Amino acid sequence: MIKKYEIVWIVLLVFTIFAYLLGKLHLISSVLVGVLLITTFIKGQLVIDYFMGMKNVSLKYRLIPTFWLTLVLSLVATAYYL
Amino acid sequence: MSSDIRTKEPYPPGDFAIWIVIYIELVTFGLMFIGYAFSRRSDVAVFNASQLLLNQTSGFIDTLILITSSYFIVKALNAVKDAKGDAVQRANLLASKWLLAAIAFGVMFLVNKLLEFSDIFGQGIDLSTNTFFMFYLLLTMFHFMHVTLGTIILFNIRRRTRSTNGYSAEDTRGIETGAVYWHLVDLLWIVLFPLIYIIR
Repeated sequence: MIKKYEIVWIVLLVFTIFAYLLGKLHLISSVLVGVLLITTFIKGQLVIDYFMGMKNVSLKYRLIPTFWLTLVLSLVATAYYL
Repeated sequence: MSSDIRTKEPYPPGDFAIWIVIYIELVTFGLMFIGYAFSRRSDVAVFNASQLLLNQTSGFIDTLILITSSYFIVKALNAVKDAKGDAVQRANLLASKWLLAAIAFGVMFLVNKLLEFSDIFGQGIDLSTNTFFMFYLLLTMFHFMHVTLGTIILFNIRRRTRSTNGYSAEDTRGIETGAVYWHLVDLLWIVLFPLIYIIR
């Protein structure tokens, strides 16, 4: 049986390898920065929901770190693309 | 089927005080991340040239270490979460093994970071070199302090799993508190790594 925490861990590893390859192979471009920020959001949300255990917590508490992650990455994107 | 139908927990896992700390840390690091991103706009060429002096492989290894250690802590917590009666001692023994692995990875992170800092300082770089390195050193050293504290917390949690008064289904508050703090350290690095090491 494939367990959810193992899947989360593997997804986190895959996205990390993706980010590393973008940097190491000098593939980073404006479009790929957007993709990188989206994968960073997914990674952060997986940690918040499954590792921190916020998925089964009242929405008002769950949304605080999610709001932080969204705000920070949106402002990073704004600074990059403006 | 029945396990899918759950009511939401009213409060986040762990002690409420740790969540106050977590919110403060999120705001502090968040401001520094945003400060970095907007400062970069004023001198993109210097930021890009300075970033080339960083060891991306080291940052990559740090990320793998933190993600994996977070996974180990989830396994440790899950081991004791449902432990009752005779199963408590066995569950704590299992949790202590997962925690030992997480602590070892925490120490690996710290050693790897010290080597990276040593390399950077060896190049004559310090806080006053330029704005990029000011942010790089402030963010990574501040984060380093959090990993150090997190490792000490894990060490203390593990000590309890080895005692006669271990964690059980009725008493997981302590291990949950340490776990969410460690996951915060992981979450912060997940944002820091692409921002400082990759995006250019």
